[in-house]
Amino acid sequence: MTTTFQPRTRAHAIDGAIATLIRILLWVWVALNLAVVAWIVLSSLKTTREIFAQPFGLPAVPQWQNFVAAWQVAGFSGAAFNTIALVAVSSVVIVVLAAPAAYVLARIPRASAVPVTTFFALGMAIPFQAVLVPLFLISNSLSDVMIQWVLGFWDDRISLGLFYIVLSLPFTVFLLTAYFRNLPSELEEAAAIDGASPFRTFVQIMFPLARPGIVTALVLNIVSLWNETLLVLVLVTDPEQRTLPAALLNLYNTMQFTSNWGGLFAGIVILVLPMIILYLWVGRRIVEGMTQGAGK
Amino acid sequence: MPAAARTSAAAGRSDESGLQRARSRLYLPFLLPALLLYIVLFVVPSLASVGFSLMKWGGLGSDMSWNGLGNYVRLFTNPAFGTSFLNTLLLTIVGGLIVFGVAFLSMVVLREMRGRAFIRAVVFVPYILSPIAIGAAIGFLLNPDGAINLILRTIGLDSLALAWLSPDLVFKVIIIGFIWSTTGFYVALMMSGVDSISPSLYEAAKLSGASRLQQFRYVTFPLTRDILATAAVLWVINGIKVFEIVIAFTGTAGTPPLQARTVAVQQYLSVTGGRDGVPDLGYASAIGVVMFVLCSVLVVLVRRILRTESIEQ
Repeated sequence: MTTTFQPRTRAHAIDGAIATLIRILLWVWVALNLAVVAWIVLSSLKTTREIFAQPFGLPAVPQWQNFVAAWQVAGFSGAAFNTIALVAVSSVVIVVLAAPAAYVLARIPRASAVPVTTFFALGMAIPFQAVLVPLFLISNSLSDVMIQWVLGFWDDRISLGLFYIVLSLPFTVFLLTAYFRNLPSELEEAAAIDGASPFRTFVQIMFPLARPGIVTALVLNIVSLWNETLLVLVLVTDPEQRTLPAALLNLYNTMQFTSNWGGLFAGIVILVLPMIILYLWVGRRIVEGMTQGAGK
Repeated sequence: MPAAARTSAAAGRSDESGLQRARSRLYLPFLLPALLLYIVLFVVPSLASVGFSLMKWGGLGSDMSWNGLGNYVRLFTNPAFGTSFLNTLLLTIVGGLIVFGVAFLSMVVLREMRGRAFIRAVVFVPYILSPIAIGAAIGFLLNPDGAINLILRTIGLDSLALAWLSPDLVFKVIIIGFIWSTTGFYVALMMSGVDSISPSLYEAAKLSGASRLQQFRYVTFPLTRDILATAAVLWVINGIKVFEIVIAFTGTAGTPPLQARTVAVQQYLSVTGGRDGVPDLGYASAIGVVMFVLCSVLVVLVRRILRTESIEQ
């Protein structure tokens, strides 16, 4: 390969200038992101008057009662409970359903394994709005049937959790199939030769081996379900049964009447801070899972 | 035991074939719970959506009657839907050009600049935050008398202190907010492609005197084409679904202004009835189908564009 790049000093000077400019802009971007997060946290500790008078100043006295207001008056305590319960149960059930399916799809050479994997992946390409009306119908019918014929009661949160699970299956199966496919097969064979049943081999050997992938799947589902808003708004009518994003939206809509902006920012922090803490804790896994899951 | 399994067993060694057969028994019990749930509650509903979209169907209690393509005709003759359709296209196409422009620029320097790991970690953060929270916070800054306008007035740029959240302007602000909150993810995605390029290629390029821009042009860009195709497809799927951030910026569970609606918002209003409380489920199903078609068309288009370019190379 004979070179086409003559060392041209002027071109390189321009190149250096452009690179420096991009570097500066990247640092500006970083500063902006950190500033926005810091500003939200600080605002949540200010009085409404301070928020307006010194939008970028420090609070004179930390207003912890903003959090009390959001937690008690604006119903964030119930919303937080709903969110945590829904996210915890759904994300665990997703993995419990997806991991075995992904395992057999990745490691048992059946003729149908490849097309079924593709069939799951197809679900990732369908915007879920395409199924919104049927899910709305199913949710309502399920509620009617359960109340009238089966249980005598029903809770929209159960339907919501059910759909969270179903809608997360395609991505999770897809992600975990890739993980299981890359595991070494020696241990699996050794376990079988030692007389472990295939089921035990999966539970005691392959599942633990795939732990990094499973934790990634768990975390990614936690992030996306924590922030989910559209389905809650459509399927759950009782404000008491709704999750944090819906509670924040509701609080935001009452601002023109209550004007407790400190409380609003406290609400924003309650919604955002758990995700930031999760990101500080397992951020690398979140980024890698999201990018590799997409890249594969 | 199905014939396929028996043949594959015969092909293997005899002890292995026993193992394979034993493991093969796990196939259906392990697969079916997830698969059935997926079929019954996702695949069948998406087909049902197509059926519903051909029906005249108001709310849940009301009767359904055949309407042919009536809902689709109504959709495309309805100026409100037309606006939301153009908004969605605008956000997906213009937003996409900006997001990938930023990603390319980052790729020029981010591979070997100081603090790169930190930068990559921090620009990603907005992507995991609730769009509702982002909309509420930034919406507050952009109030007519909010902090942004306060600053603009203080430094004498009164003419730039606009009514950012007014119906005519708010969608542009939403696009910027959406770009801010998602670009970090696409930078991370593209950089994961850059990471897998062998450093020796950059060494060779440097030895032959290639500048950074030339390294990007001749090494980085051609070798991240596959991941670019994937990223662009993801962008399209996510762009068409944009809903939360619009609701958050326009700050109302009732009805965002016509000028600021996306297709997903328009559908949400038809499902719930919006503030007037008149749901129109047949119509809403048709919007869902249109979203799916729009998504497929854009995905095919994106793939086609990226492929042609790689042939020209």
